Amino acid sequence: MIAQFILSILLAGFLVYAWSARSPAIAVLAVFVTMAGLYFVWMPEHSTQLAELVGIGRGVDLILYIWVCLSLIVVLNLHLKLRTQMELITVLARRIALADAARVAPSSNDPVLPRASGDPAYR
Amino acid sequence: MVSRAQVFVVIPAFNEGPVIGRVVGEVKRAGYRVVVVDDGSKDGTAGQACAAGAAVVTHPFNLGQGAALQTGIDYALAQTAEVIVTFDADGQHRVSDISRLAEALFDEHADYALGSRFLGQAPNLPPLRKALLRAATSFTRLTTGLQVTDTHNGLRAMTRRGAAAIRLRQNRMAHASEWLSQIAGSGLRYVERPVIVEYTAYSLAKGQTIGDAVLILLDLFARRLYR
Repeated sequence: MIAQFILSILLAGFLVYAWSARSPAIAVLAVFVTMAGLYFVWMPEHSTQLAELVGIGRGVDLILYIWVCLSLIVVLNLHLKLRTQMELITVLARRIALADAARVAPSSNDPVLPRASGDPAYR
Repeated sequence: MVSRAQVFVVIPAFNEGPVIGRVVGEVKRAGYRVVVVDDGSKDGTAGQACAAGAAVVTHPFNLGQGAALQTGIDYALAQTAEVIVTFDADGQHRVSDISRLAEALFDEHADYALGSRFLGQAPNLPPLRKALLRAATSFTRLTTGLQVTDTHNGLRAMTRRGAAAIRLRQNRMAHASEWLSQIAGSGLRYVERPVIVEYTAYSLAKGQTIGDAVLILLDLFARRLYR
């Protein structure tokens, strides 16, 4: 009983967090996963029945496998997000480098940064 | 044919202090404009390049060779370059090959002239490195459909129009394959020309290994997973 209460509190906390997730698809998925977790915490024998149905020995194993898969998806998602961020940082760093080069050594009369020149903030 | 002052040679450099001055000097003496993109070096590469007469663009931190090349291309396009050449900083390319590639652009009405060490020569190329390059070439041929003989050669020339069609997003070494996929995607004409790539102890120490090849494949794969 003690474990069930502690797990329920943790999952309820996560439910609040999941509800506030920015992407609606992620929010729905997280809420669904949390609800399923709550259900299996109180009905462990049902998870064992479900596990046997799909050919896994125990309900705990089933949950463990699902958890590993979900973690991998989360890691992949984070990795792709980091790459997208790196691309933005690259664009930013490039613009700074080109602006510095234009300021330090105006080696020709032509203005550097053609793409920025239309933008009043960069004049 | 354009004058050499309209030919911009873009040299990406990361910690190439010992050799960058000599390489820049040679290219400058041939009459070309030189842009060194210092990719966050910590060994005074920018100062050496500047002293040798290059225009230097400095990344605030290390981003990778692909990112440095794109920065150099952006700079050269802004400086109204007619021809842009990419050239390695480690001294493995010959300056005389630059004019051969630039002339090929006009003789063949092409927008890209790619150097090939396998049509030309590669003295002191170790067998393992050669096998790796061959494998990489086969891979790129399969994925881009271009029948090129040397996909991982840093020596290329392109017209202004060709350069404008390139937008490298692979910051690290996977940019070599990206060049070819974007050349294929641009629909512009490309030619290959034999060049000499000379392997020195210095360039070998800085070159790519099998482990890097695995990372490159991962980079290319990851790029296809989004957008």
